[in-house]
Amino acid sequence: MATEQELSAFLKDVEKRAFKRSVFHVRDEEAALDIVQDSMLKLAQHYGDKPVNELPMLFQRILSNSTLDWFRRQKTQKAVFTHFSDLESSVDGDSDFDWLETYATNGDASAASNAESLTERKQTLQSIEKEIQELPARQREAFLMRYWEEMDVAETAAAMGCSEGSVKTHCFRAIQTLSKALKAKGIEL
Amino acid sequence: MKSAPTLRQEQTADRIARQITARLSEGEALLPYEITERLRASREQAVSIRRREASVLRVQTSTAASAQGNTLTLGNPDEGNGWWRTLVSAIPVFALIAGLVIYNSDTEQSMLSEVTEVDTALLTDDLPPAAYSDPGFIQYLKTSAATPTEH
Repeated sequence: MATEQELSAFLKDVEKRAFKRSVFHVRDEEAALDIVQDSMLKLAQHYGDKPVNELPMLFQRILSNSTLDWFRRQKTQKAVFTHFSDLESSVDGDSDFDWLETYATNGDASAASNAESLTERKQTLQSIEKEIQELPARQREAFLMRYWEEMDVAETAAAMGCSEGSVKTHCFRAIQTLSKALKAKGIEL
Repeated sequence: MKSAPTLRQEQTADRIARQITARLSEGEALLPYEITERLRASREQAVSIRRREASVLRVQTSTAASAQGNTLTLGNPDEGNGWWRTLVSAIPVFALIAGLVIYNSDTEQSMLSEVTEVDTALLTDDLPPAAYSDPGFIQYLKTSAATPTEH
């Protein structure tokens, strides 16, 4: 059973990422704050007695459900399904693989970072966030859970309510799209 | 026809993904103060709910344990069989009353027996009962009792 301190530490660790993820989804900071707050309260109220190691996945599920609830409340469910339908769009696999090959950087990322000014870093961040926001909802969700929240494939699949194969596909397509878009903007990571 | 990504392609994609999310993590520090404060307030509200829920749970647990203790040690008078417990409790009182009745009856019987014996002795003696009211005979008995009989 998670103690108050453990719950507080967990929420402190995830709150900013949860906020940004919600912003990517709903594109409204006020709504994103409400969604994160609602998710935190639900977690504390209904799952506060769970072991601390179960909190990450529970919170991700609650956050996803709260986001969907927000969309339902806003009567924009149709828009969500439009995003979901994007998953059906065909991807020319072989040519996208080439994009990945050419975009992957092997150099020392920290050295490159040191050379950038703060302004450039902010601009790069904004560009990345914009491209992530443009991703189809399920791809974005899978990508952020898998790589930003550092959940493994099985946990991501459980949180999203889909198969592990679907998670891998969503993530791979998301990375392809992002790498193409960032390459086109001349952004080096 | 789509082909599954090779291991090398997956590793490359994985590396790109981690570079992208590393940039996103850097952006966490750039969130405006107002946003971080509201997130902090939400977190504290959630923790206070957790604290309240935990205290309610402790009270419920304590109450349940106390109720169980009563049942095990003293019994709960609200539970059934109240009339049976009352009946059992009255047994010592009934026993006391019965004992008093028996003792009283026995004492009366004993007194009656003594009176009966005296009456029987008087009636079956050679002397008529009226002799005991004669002063001369009373004097004779006193004199006879003071003088020992010689054998």
